[in-house]
Amino acid sequence: MELDFIRKAQLKQKGNFYEDFQSGQVFEHHWGKTLNEGDNSHFSSLNLEANPLYFNHCYANAHDHPSVVINPMLVFNTVFGLSVEDLSEAGGLFLGVDELIFHRTVYPRDTLTARSEVISKRESGKNPSLGIVSWHTRGFNQCDDLVIDFKRTNLVSKKERSD
Amino acid sequence: MNIDALTGNDNYFEDFTVGEVMKHARGKTVSEIENVQVTNMVMNTAQAHFNEHSMLGTRFQKRIVFGGCTAALVIGLTSQDTSENALMELGLDKIRFKSPVFHGDTLYAYTEVLKLSESDRDDAGEVLFRHWGVNQNQVVVFEGERRTLIKRRNYTVSGDSITQ
Repeated sequence: MELDFIRKAQLKQKGNFYEDFQSGQVFEHHWGKTLNEGDNSHFSSLNLEANPLYFNHCYANAHDHPSVVINPMLVFNTVFGLSVEDLSEAGGLFLGVDELIFHRTVYPRDTLTARSEVISKRESGKNPSLGIVSWHTRGFNQCDDLVIDFKRTNLVSKKERSD
Repeated sequence: MNIDALTGNDNYFEDFTVGEVMKHARGKTVSEIENVQVTNMVMNTAQAHFNEHSMLGTRFQKRIVFGGCTAALVIGLTSQDTSENALMELGLDKIRFKSPVFHGDTLYAYTEVLKLSESDRDDAGEVLFRHWGVNQNQVVVFEGERRTLIKRRNYTVSGDSITQ
């Protein structure tokens, strides 16, 4: 049968559910990413960023940087993005971020990796098929220097959905 | 290159007053470029942001914009008035996504100056801002605080690099 492969295929499920998280559990997230000048310039322009440190090399030099600076919101988004499969891909709204600190300037060709620890988990009062989980995520450069850390909270789906 | 002429003259540390509230001039309609492209660029694998078909059975019925994109856009919309003369972003806090954002929504940004502080250098100071992102129906979709290190008027650019 022409579509036999669809019948035979097993879904390669990604992500973790509420039941998979335990307080204190640590995730070393996959992939890492080298940031480049093109993505940085593009990201900054799309968001109407006005600080020339992120897109004017001469201006950045005049402010004691060896090159343009990676937009801190791109650093945040990249470290966050690397954490998604482990933490939040299985579903549930992103509620907020607290205590985010930019510890160190990031430059083009720096490579970021991410690690997270589960801070807390609790049931949702409004929806029994969901829980609320908070994580402490840290981002590092290629020298293992801490460049960013923040606490993030999401709704997270349970495996056994009651809805 | 006249470095000082590249940025505005009304957004140095001394120009901010605690309690002032700004409405930023430009809004932006969120499209697939701001959401799908950036979500994929930053390796965010949650397909609620980029698989329209997967969303048909949900209460949203369509893709929702990644909060990180919303945050970056709202802060970007504020930046000419808040951080054009910033030396460094220090941190964010109390970031809340109050309502989902969809492709086609238009976001506007508002800012209140919460606090002005000395920094460890005499040519820059710290400003604590509160930002809001609001959609075309005046629904708040984003709010949060941001700490930024901003040049004082006595800041001087390093001389050797001006000749580059």
